Parts: sequence; C-alpha cells; structure tokens
Amino acid sequence: MAETLQTNKTDRKSRFYTLFSSLEQSLNGQTSRADHAIRRKSMEKLAQMEFPTRRDEDWKYTSVVPVLKPDWSLPSASANDTHSAAAGEGIKLYFFNGMLDQEVSDLDKLPEGLLLCSIADALEMDTERARVEKLLDKEVELAENAFVPLNGAFASNGLYLRLKKGVRLSSDIHFVYTNDGSAQATMINPQTIIVLESSSEMRIVESFNGQSGQTFTNILNRFEVGANARLEHYKFQLENKESFQINNTKAWLNRDSVYSNYNLDLGGALVRNNVISVLLDSNITANLYGAFLGVDRQHLDTQTFIDHAFPHCQSNELYKGILTDRAKGVFNGKVIVRPDAQKTNAFQQNSNLVLSPTAVMDTKPQLEIFADDVRCSHGATIGQLDETSVFYLKSRGIPDAQARRLLQLAFLQEVLDTIEVEYLHDYASGLLKAKFEETK
Amino acid sequence: MLEIKDLYVSVEDQEILRGINLQVNPGEVHAIMGPNGSGKSTLASVLAGREEYEVTSGSVTFKGDDLLDMDVDERAHAGVFLAFQYPVEIPGVSTATFLKSSINAIRKARGQEELKPVDMLKLLRQKAAELEIDPKFLQRSLNEGFSGGEKKRNEMLQMSLLEPTLGILDETDSGLDIDALKVVSDAVNKLRSPDRSFVVVTHYQRLLDYIVPDFVHVLSKGQIVRSGDKSLALELEARGYDWVREGAVQ
Ligand SMILES: Nc1ncnc2c1ncn2[C@@H]1O[C@H](COP(=O)(O)OP(=O)(O)O)[C@@H](O)[C@H]1O
Ligand SMILES: [Mg+2]
Repeated sequence: MAETLQTNKTDRKSRFYTLFSSLEQSLNGQTSRADHAIRRKSMEKLAQMEFPTRRDEDWKYTSVVPVLKPDWSLPSASANDTHSAAAGEGIKLYFFNGMLDQEVSDLDKLPEGLLLCSIADALEMDTERARVEKLLDKEVELAENAFVPLNGAFASNGLYLRLKKGVRLSSDIHFVYTNDGSAQATMINPQTIIVLESSSEMRIVESFNGQSGQTFTNILNRFEVGANARLEHYKFQLENKESFQINNTKAWLNRDSVYSNYNLDLGGALVRNNVISVLLDSNITANLYGAFLGVDRQHLDTQTFIDHAFPHCQSNELYKGILTDRAKGVFNGKVIVRPDAQKTNAFQQNSNLVLSPTAVMDTKPQLEIFADDVRCSHGATIGQLDETSVFYLKSRGIPDAQARRLLQLAFLQEVLDTIEVEYLHDYASGLLKAKFEETK
Repeated sequence: MLEIKDLYVSVEDQEILRGINLQVNPGEVHAIMGPNGSGKSTLASVLAGREEYEVTSGSVTFKGDDLLDMDVDERAHAGVFLAFQYPVEIPGVSTATFLKSSINAIRKARGQEELKPVDMLKLLRQKAAELEIDPKFLQRSLNEGFSGGEKKRNEMLQMSLLEPTLGILDETDSGLDIDALKVVSDAVNKLRSPDRSFVVVTHYQRLLDYIVPDFVHVLSKGQIVRSGDKSLALELEARGYDWVREGAVQ
C-alpha cells in the first residue's frame, strides 16, 4: 500500500520532469539566460520538495490530488482574440492561457514612472537584477510549498513592474487572464513581481476567466511595497467548474505602507489562496478581504498569514463565504504578533453561511500573540439564513428563492463594501449577482 | 372579504387563540384591542402566515379562498399586508432594493409589467414624502438602526406602495409621538376605500381618534370577549381592561 502511494507521488513529480525536458528542448539555445537558471533551480527545488498532503497541518482540509492527476500540457504560444473584458478603464494586460498578448495589451500606454517588462528581461538589466533575484530566486529557495518552484520552473510570461518613488498611478493596471483548456488540459503559471518604491501608489486588478476545458492556474505573486507606499490588489476569480487555481501571493511591507488585498472567488473546482503579508517595520497596515460563493462540488480554501514583528502596525481581515449543495469552504487565518510588535491592532473575522446539509465549512482562526500591549480579536461563525428575515421579505410578496438570494447577497455585502473604488465595487456586485442568477 | 371561523392556534403546544370568530366586509375598519399577551399579535401573524403558529382548528377565508392554505408570498400577492409590531432589521439589503423587489414581485404575480426604474424612483420618492420620510432613508439598510418610529413609518411606506386589499396593523401606534401618529394615520385614511379593509390592532384608544373604526373587538386570553362600535374603545379607555377581563370570566 505504502509502496503504491510512493510510486504515485514520484509519478506525479516525474511527469513534471518530463514536461520540463520538453520545455527545455523547445527553447532551443536560450537555456543560458539568467531566467533559465531560475527555472532549473526551481526544478531542483521541486525535486527536493513534496507536494502537500492532508497530513500537512496547513493542507488538512484540502487535498491537491485532483490538481496533480491530469496530464498537464504547457500553453502553446498562440494569440487569441477571445479575451475576456476587463473590469474597467486603465492599463490592460491581456493573457491567453498565461501568454501575454502583446498585440492587444496596452504596452505602449505605460505611464511615466512605471517600468514594465518581462522578468527574463529584468534579469538582464543591471538596475533590476538584484531585486528580481531577491523576490524570485530567493523565494524559490524558501518556497512555502511545492507550487512555488512549480511556478518558477514553468512560468511562461512572468512580468516585472517597478513603480518609481512618489509616483501615484492614476490608471489601474488590469491583468486579464482568459484560460481555455479545451484542446488539452493546460497548466498556466502566471508570475508577477511588483516593486513599489517609497511613497508610490498603484492599484492592480487580476481577473481570471475560465472558458471551456480544464486548466490549472498556479499563481505566484511577489510584491515589495516600499516605505509609505500603497498597493491595492484585487482578484476576481471566475474559472470554470473543471479548473483549478492555486494562488501563492506574498507582500513584503515596509514602514508606513499599506497593502490591501480583495479577493472574490466565484469559480473553480478547487481553489486555494495563500495570502501572506510580512510586516518589516512599524506603522504598516495590511487589509485582507475576501468573499466566496461555492456551489455544486466546488472547494474553496483561503489561508492567510500576517506576520507582525514591529510595533504600531495593524491588520484587518474580513472573509465571508456561502456554501451550498456539496461545496466545501476552508478558512485558516494565521496571525503572529511577535514580542517586539507592541501596540499591534489585529482584527480577524470569518463568517459563513452553510445552506445545505451536504455543504461543509472548516474555519480556523490561529492567533499567536507574544506581545502584551496589543489589541487583537478574532471571530468565526458558521450559520444559516435568518428565517425571520426570509419571512419578512416573503410577507411583502417576494418569492422564497428570491428572498433567499437577496439575503445571501446582503450577507456578502459587508465584504463588497470594503471596496471603496466605485467601479470595482459595482463590478464585484455585478459578478456576484450574475453568479446567483446562474445558480438559481 | 375576511372570514375567521372558530380559530384555534397554538405555539409550542400552548393554546393562544381559543375560538376566534370575525367577519370583515369590504370597506370596513375593525379595531382589535386587548391587554398584553391576549393574542393580538398571534392573530395578526397567523393571517400573515408565520409558521411557528399552528392552527389546530377553524378556518380563515380571504375573498372566498382558503387563506391558511396559501404560502406567505401568495398572501401578499392576493392583497394581504401585515404591518409588523417588530419589523426585522436586515443589514445589507437597502430599503430601496427591498421596496423595488417587493413592488415588482407583486406586479409580476398580478400579471403586470415591472415598473420602469424612473417610474419606480418617482413612486418611491413621492410616497416617502407623503410619510415625511427623508429620501436618504431609502439608501440605508432595511430597518437597520432605525428608531422605533422610523420602523413604523417604513411599514406604512410599504403599505402605501403595495396598496393591499386588507391591511393589518399590529400596534403601529406604539412608540410614535403625536406628529408621527398623525402622519401614519393620514397614510391609512388615504388608503381607505369601499373595497379596502383594515384590521387595526392597538393597545391604546388614542390611535382610534385618527383612524376611526367601524367596529371594535376586545381580545382577552385568546377570545373575543366583547364587540361594539367605536364607543367601546372609549369605554375601555375609561374603565380599563379589568372590566372586560371580568366579562370574559362569566
Ligand atoms: N413565538 C412564540 N413562542 C412562544 N410563545 C409565544 C410566541 N408568540 C406569542 N407567544 C405567547 O402567546 C401569548 C400571546 O402573545 P401575543 O400574541 O404576542 O400577545 P399580544 O400581541 O396581544 O400582546 C403570550 O403569552 C406570548 O408569550
Ligand atoms: Mg403584540
């Protein structure tokens, strides 16, 4: 028994080895570039690591076996005109199966003060190399799970963005991913490194739209937010019901900076978010917000980790989810307040509605506090719709199903209302309403 | 219009209503008075279709149909409206969204087209003004953080918008100051017509100075112990409920 398990595991990794050899062959000659060294190193790291299993505490409620089962292909470099629409105005970067479509993307409209190029190119630039190595090479070495080196090995169009000191972007940057695995089950490895220099401000919006077929999107985001800088980061996830998404996002935050992460998970068969904020100095704010709605057999898992190591910082976390049918939800919010992190304010709330007897939610707040002068609170609830409210709406002629939808939307409204930017607030509301309409 | 026959109702195996008989004809206003705990809200809730209340015997027909057999929303579609004694607070649902959904659901059930957004907005504004409700209220979450009086006005706003054939008011007057009482009464009186009826539940005679009833019934321990015209309300005011309670015993 143990032996077959072992074989299966090696088997899973060996498929990626095979895939890597064919990738190297297709690169004919370009394997000497710096970015390829990172790929090789990632591959070596992957060989040393195991994919997480449910025996790992952090993966107790999520098995990645279904993600590793398919025989994944890498996307082929074909342009496509079926891009999904962006959430709104701004600088748009369109990806099809992870490949940047240079034709339609706004690469010629980049504002003053923003450097945007491929990670491969950045590694060749004397001015950028050190930063990229720190945020990518080093991160692969320290990988929090095997999906990080997997991304490092196979990322197709990694992007590097650096915003210069004091620049406040007035247009938002949209990463519009359209995925389609209808020809072959496709593994997509988006990779984004963003450096915000001091006192700069940027808003990025990632949207993931799944068309037909099976895809596996394995995201790696590494952000460095400089002193007094602000990064607002949105993810709207609308993968199709066969597809998987693993999201490893980490933000390094410097003094007086603010990082806000908004996450709306509506699609996907299995989704796992690892959102990490590392607070490197004092007076930093990390805001992590998320809403999710799981139907059928969807499995939606979010793990957050906020590391408070310095005084006078704050973190706010609000995650709300609704699960119905046979859907499963997981939330694990880890917060460490280290001994030096006095005057920390850390708030965390996870509230969930579980609407069918076969739906499941596992929620686990995990606060470890080693400082004494702090304000920390956490709460986790799992409940049903309030029947008195349902009755009130019905007594005004609103049919049962519609009344329940209104109340579900209202439940998630608190998370949507953390979005202060009007067009994004409206966009998120629209996506949610559309999902309710589709599943009624 | 409404015919209640020998109605017995229990909550958690406790008998609350014990043989209620009441006939409300089109155009009539009936007041139901009685001490706290006599079963007034229970009667109102049964008419609206609350499930915790178990009808153990008796019948209720509305315009000839079996009201007790209808689902809660169907009752609203048929023209029954209950203004709640304790309206529910619903965070996250704006009052405007709620009102629009309600109006359109009822229109749809009656085979009418949905109101166009402009017409809807106009209607909401106009009715809110009549009830001296600040239009800003419409953007707030339904009843959330509203004062007692504001909640009651909101109930009246809903009634004015939905124009029911039978309006049941459960202690809409409680918690209202005299000005609000007038505003609320005006809204009811405006709706009075030969084919619309009201059942007004109140603890105090005061409201009946403004909404003048055709009949007054006194409920005590789950039974109607006395019925009369509006002078009965004045007599109750003068002599107190102990007077009818004694009557119930005989
Ligand atoms: N949901 C309920 N559960 C248990 N008891 C109830 C419930 N509703 C009403 N009762 C009881 O029924 C009786 C009548 O209550 P109610 O109809 O509210 O009276 P009124 O409105 O006349 O003050 C009271 O004794 C009350 O405690
Ligand atoms: Mg009452």
